[in-house]
Amino acid sequence: MAKKEDFRQVDDYVWELPRDHDARMEVPARIYGNRRVFDMAFGDRSIAQLINVAMLPGIVKYAMAMPDMHQGYGFPIGGVAAFDYAQGIISPGGVGYDINCGVRMLASPLAEEDAVSYFDELATALHRACPSGVGGKGAVQLSWDDLEEVLETGSGWAKRQGYATADDVARTEGGGCLPQAQAAAVPDRAKERGRPQMGSLGSGNHFLEIDIVDAVYDDAAAEAFGLWEGQVVVQIHCGSRGLGHEVCSQSLSQLQDAPRRYGIEIPDRELVAAPVESEEGQRYLAAMAAAANWAFANRQVLAHFVRRAFEEVLAGRVSDWELQQVYDVTHNVAKVETHTVEGRERKLMVHRKGATRAFPAGHPELTAVYRETGQPVLVPGSMGTASYVMAGNPESMALTFGSSCHGAGRTMSRRAATRKVRGEKLREELKAQGVTVRAQSMRGLAEEAPLAYKDVSLVVDSVEGAGIARKVARMHPVAVIKG
Amino acid sequence: MGCWQEIDHTADLALQVWGEDLPDLFATAAQGMFALVARPDLQAEPLKRCVALEALDVETLLVDWLNELLYLYEVTMAVLDEVDFEALSATRLHATVRGRPAATQRAQIKAATFHNLEVVTSEAGVRTEIVFDI
Repeated sequence: MAKKEDFRQVDDYVWELPRDHDARMEVPARIYGNRRVFDMAFGDRSIAQLINVAMLPGIVKYAMAMPDMHQGYGFPIGGVAAFDYAQGIISPGGVGYDINCGVRMLASPLAEEDAVSYFDELATALHRACPSGVGGKGAVQLSWDDLEEVLETGSGWAKRQGYATADDVARTEGGGCLPQAQAAAVPDRAKERGRPQMGSLGSGNHFLEIDIVDAVYDDAAAEAFGLWEGQVVVQIHCGSRGLGHEVCSQSLSQLQDAPRRYGIEIPDRELVAAPVESEEGQRYLAAMAAAANWAFANRQVLAHFVRRAFEEVLAGRVSDWELQQVYDVTHNVAKVETHTVEGRERKLMVHRKGATRAFPAGHPELTAVYRETGQPVLVPGSMGTASYVMAGNPESMALTFGSSCHGAGRTMSRRAATRKVRGEKLREELKAQGVTVRAQSMRGLAEEAPLAYKDVSLVVDSVEGAGIARKVARMHPVAVIKG
Repeated sequence: MGCWQEIDHTADLALQVWGEDLPDLFATAAQGMFALVARPDLQAEPLKRCVALEALDVETLLVDWLNELLYLYEVTMAVLDEVDFEALSATRLHATVRGRPAATQRAQIKAATFHNLEVVTSEAGVRTEIVFDI
């Protein structure tokens, strides 16, 4: 068990556990955050999980935890690890069950004062238009042929079907498609689960939210992102639903024997892995990428129905209600990326588990729109509290393989939260604060209570202090549709 | 007769499960998991499904078993927590599961995980600890 004194303070925002802490560690482990974030990391088992990641073969530089780190299963949430493509591994536990869980932001042309009287109606229309709940069917029933196309082309399918504009696709991480995807690598049952669920929010911590931009910190970046103070915006948080869960579950079970066959030492069976270039590694990469594409298409279809709900409520009442996409980021994924390590370009398999890509200005993978500013990094807060939009900084490439936090990060278990808060009371309190809530279950609402999370401001200030990304704008919610 | 207990986990859900033997452990794990997921409507018509699985070892079989039940829950929306094993070894199971449609839903469990999973057999019986992704 690592203690605080085992860590070396590299600077005000970087804490490093040396490799010699445990003979099995291949690289040091690093926590990014100020002193308070560092202290909070000792509140659960996330550091032990980070140390496990540092033991995986082929890991490059460090096992890293972002400031929103907390205990997960396998990787800690907020975990980032890059593996050499030729010598390293790929691990389903480094991505998780909700493959390409992510966030999409849409910006409206409306100021709060022009829309405030419609927020209740909008919440009802959004709740109706975007199905939520366990097993919930989606707004679109895919044919088997369409499903294959979704899996291999993601947002490309959505555009061909009229659910996306070219601008939406450009403003989606990687154009909303992981090119390694192969529909044939996706198990039949995953396809059965995914076919009826396209265009659904799911449940758990997934949500759809109407927010107001209440602070702008970087005028130039905010202008490029299309954001301004007092503006109404929408956030969509969801992932790959049953299809992604099935891909991950089946991959983990099938890979249980891989460590023995490849002579890989694994500290936790959830971290089971195969060499990236092995047959098993490539099969998982192809299936995971296909599930990620399904999730990009899912958020795109939801965005389409959000736009339709806005039209339904606002047409004839305001002059313009067109929602423009700001960006769509994934925070559970493994991606093939090229990074400079010790002066040399290396092809890496970058795992982000509860972490967002944060590429800086000038990065060739960014859409031209954000080439001057760096990509938008979307950081939703806990329900009822602030969210942030940040922009990737050049330092992120050397510090964290171009990665940042993905949210506030939990500090309290769901059980503890439900012991402290009742869903009905929380809904009333939020109402009194001006936040309308539509929720599937009151228990689910209580589990996501703000007191169960870190203060998101603490997290984004740490990200900014470390130099990973800079704050662009802050939002507060006015309507929440909880999955 | 087995028993289960929920234990604290920052982001997800976790259960400690005890059983007299392997079938008892597997049945109790299913009951514990469904207690987290939903409550059945006792007035509704019951339904049943058959489950047949083979796996590398007992831990993989346990994870596959619970994930199979989560899948069946997603497609039937039924709390299938009454279990009869026709066969159960460390690597193979054949079971009939019965239950009734959910009346109230609680947590959405995405999957049973392998995190630190170990099925431990002793003179007192069989025990394990399972972390579920939420």
